[in-house]
Amino acid sequence: MTFFNTKTAQILERSLDASSLRHKVLANNIANVDTPNFKRSDISFDSALQSYLDDDSIPIKGMVTHPRHIPIGVHSFSQIQPEIVAEDSTIYNNNGNNVDIDSEMTQLAQNQIKYNALIQQINGHFAKLRNAIGGR
Amino acid sequence: MGLFDGINISASGLTAQRLRMDVIANNIANAQSTRSVDNPNEPYRRQRVIFSPVEGSGSFASVLGNKLQSPGLGVAVTAVEKDMETPFKLVYDPSHPDAVKDPNDPGYGYVRMPNVDVTAEMVDMIAASRGYEANVTAVNAAKAMALKALEIGR
Repeated sequence: MTFFNTKTAQILERSLDASSLRHKVLANNIANVDTPNFKRSDISFDSALQSYLDDDSIPIKGMVTHPRHIPIGVHSFSQIQPEIVAEDSTIYNNNGNNVDIDSEMTQLAQNQIKYNALIQQINGHFAKLRNAIGGR
Repeated sequence: MGLFDGINISASGLTAQRLRMDVIANNIANAQSTRSVDNPNEPYRRQRVIFSPVEGSGSFASVLGNKLQSPGLGVAVTAVEKDMETPFKLVYDPSHPDAVKDPNDPGYGYVRMPNVDVTAEMVDMIAASRGYEANVTAVNAAKAMALKALEIGR
């Protein structure tokens, strides 16, 4: 962990990636609002990050004593990747489509605000570093 | 995945909804057309658009990767097809040039009108218009996010 590549920066960076991916997924849901039999997708990221951040919430965690062991639970930060999950068990419309436009639009707005908040955080982080370098 | 993917996805939605709007407008415009271009003996048949989602294609590995890591690529209109199921409406108007002229025919005096239901078309039009607006909102959100990203480290 170096001066620039701190845990804070990594987490913020990864969260920004997840947020921008989430926007694309939501945009795709909205674009397909009238497509018959289309099933909406979302991404899973928050819970993985959460369980990485507070160690206690992981129910089962396998011990890794050999580099070729397959880890159980979230061990390292690189394991936290946003993943797209399709929600194909529900039906909202009578054409088999399960896109609820109201919920998509609110999630889009939420995601946008979250993205802005993350960028503010990252800017604050850089401002602190700049402060440290400048030594005011 | 690029910076503008979100905008491109929403743009495909805009294109699709606009085409749908065009088809609806054509249906409403032809709601009284008793002759069609391809068959002068038949009235206009209503048309409808068929949407389908666009997925990335390629090798098995890339498809699997796409399923987990990249969203779909929006929506596409695969076909504009004629409605062959809904029956034509019959209107009694013996003076109409396209009315059945044979007095022995049980349909004597009736004109076959297009199978366009203007009310249904209007409802569809509102849906298309709202869908278009939703995609515009998504484009604006993507734009704002991309511009915000440029502020990192300012």
